[in-house]
Amino acid sequence: MNTMDRLFGWRHALDNPVSLGVVCAVAGVLLISPLLILVITRATSAKPEFRKELWDRYKSWLVIAPAIAVPILAGAAWTIAAVTILGLLCYAEFARATGLFREKLLSALVVLGILAMNFAALDNWYALFMALFPLTIGLIVVGTLAKDKPAGYIQRVALAILGFALFGGALAHLSFFANDANYRPILLMLFLCVELNDIFAFCVGKTLGKHKLAPNTSPGKTIEGSIGALVLTTALATALGHFVFEGTAFDSWPLLILLGVLISVVGQLGDLTLSSIKRDLGIKDMAATIPGHGGVLDRFNSMLLVAPAVFHLAHYVLPAVGHGQAQRIITGG
Amino acid sequence: MMEAWKYDKAADIGLAPGERVKSVRRESGLVATVVHRVWWAFVRAYLRLWHRVRIEGRENLPLDVPFVIVANHSSHLDVLVLAAFLPGRLRDRVFPIAAGDVFFSRLSVGWFAALCLNALPIWRKKAGAHALADLRERLVEDRCGYVLFPEGSRARDGKLADFKPGLGMLVAGTNVPVIPCHLQGAFEAMPPHAMFPRPRKLVLRVGKPLDCSQLSNDRAGWMGITQSARASVVELSTQS
Repeated sequence: MNTMDRLFGWRHALDNPVSLGVVCAVAGVLLISPLLILVITRATSAKPEFRKELWDRYKSWLVIAPAIAVPILAGAAWTIAAVTILGLLCYAEFARATGLFREKLLSALVVLGILAMNFAALDNWYALFMALFPLTIGLIVVGTLAKDKPAGYIQRVALAILGFALFGGALAHLSFFANDANYRPILLMLFLCVELNDIFAFCVGKTLGKHKLAPNTSPGKTIEGSIGALVLTTALATALGHFVFEGTAFDSWPLLILLGVLISVVGQLGDLTLSSIKRDLGIKDMAATIPGHGGVLDRFNSMLLVAPAVFHLAHYVLPAVGHGQAQRIITGG
Repeated sequence: MMEAWKYDKAADIGLAPGERVKSVRRESGLVATVVHRVWWAFVRAYLRLWHRVRIEGRENLPLDVPFVIVANHSSHLDVLVLAAFLPGRLRDRVFPIAAGDVFFSRLSVGWFAALCLNALPIWRKKAGAHALADLRERLVEDRCGYVLFPEGSRARDGKLADFKPGLGMLVAGTNVPVIPCHLQGAFEAMPPHAMFPRPRKLVLRVGKPLDCSQLSNDRAGWMGITQSARASVVELSTQS
């Protein structure tokens, strides 16, 4: 595929049947959800707070779903821009919740790292993309030495590294996916599976949940919900993956099942990671940006670790992510 | 004194973006810090070029927080002059106290006031003890600097009006010094009805800090501070 077409070719948005299918399915669900909510709240005579929460969540999804889908469909450049903004928003919430935002220089280095990794992704320069992870960590480690203020050094530098690792190092792999000619169905599948994984765990947990999964970390989660999500998400990802990767080395059942298990397990672990952070800080939500959800990070936590896990599986199985595409499109070389 | 790291979340966490702008607990993030720096550098250049600002008593300008700067108020230029020449490293900790109904009732203006000026709102209609207590708590515990106009609004005739006792309620019995200032020429450069500032010369006179630690936090103490601050501003206005 021609580079400009990949970056800005919105005319190709729905070329792939999986993209079309996912977009239609999500749009359909969002269209009939008001009816479902009405039926559920009437039939169960739900409390007004629960009803309001359902409507708040629904209204937020009306914004979140297009915010995810439109950049992906519009082109690789928009996708990478959206992932960059997502990473910066997540870091901002993390920094405000931990107090790291008061360390302006460290925060600036983390932001620089997030921008640099997404730039390397846009450039399709894999070697730089890989190099930036250790290099940025080195920069964070030495960046504030000149202040000659050793008190608290380990904690604040470790916090900055954690922030960069999650919202730059890990999340920017979503951006690098955009270098693949086939990136639209891959990313739409990933987002769909990761978000549904959360919803599956919630719904199965609510109906069948008895045993708590990690009561100290996240009291609402149950083992039944977790296993239910594992089964359902694996089935969904395996089926979708078959169409997304049709005709490639990835299109074999064991690999596709591995993909599904990876998405579900790592997605849930990402969720628990953020729960641990919040529990440690003693806050319920990272922010109050999205009504009914909390912060941006509360919504996208499950994607953080799925991005690199699935990326490197794909990179290993396929000839490469972005195979056959022009490399170093900005820096040349 | 070096301090070890503490997890200390932003005081405004949990507020929706629109609420955060208006909160007196608002804390600057990286974006706000960068915008403040750029905005105030621009304001300094503008004041020097367009108004040829002269500062007398520059040695009285505070080098560290906390402090409260008070001055006569007759123009929108006042806050720019008073805050522009403070040390850049204090930029995130210096808050002009602005009328909530003018600067924070519309979201667009509120964003400007928060991002550029780093202003905190005071709601004049309901500026009771509670609102002032929040500001006092932040001033003392969080150690910051306020730029405040104790007349309560711009003097429409350019003459110094009475000071409101709220100034005293902020600082009575604390170690926060009050720094009286007088700004000359701002009314002529940009009176309250003017849309654009005229290139008139401005003179900022900075007085000696007033110590409020011995004054009681009651009506007598508040009036004492308010009166001595006003007397200092009047005295500065007669120097030339």
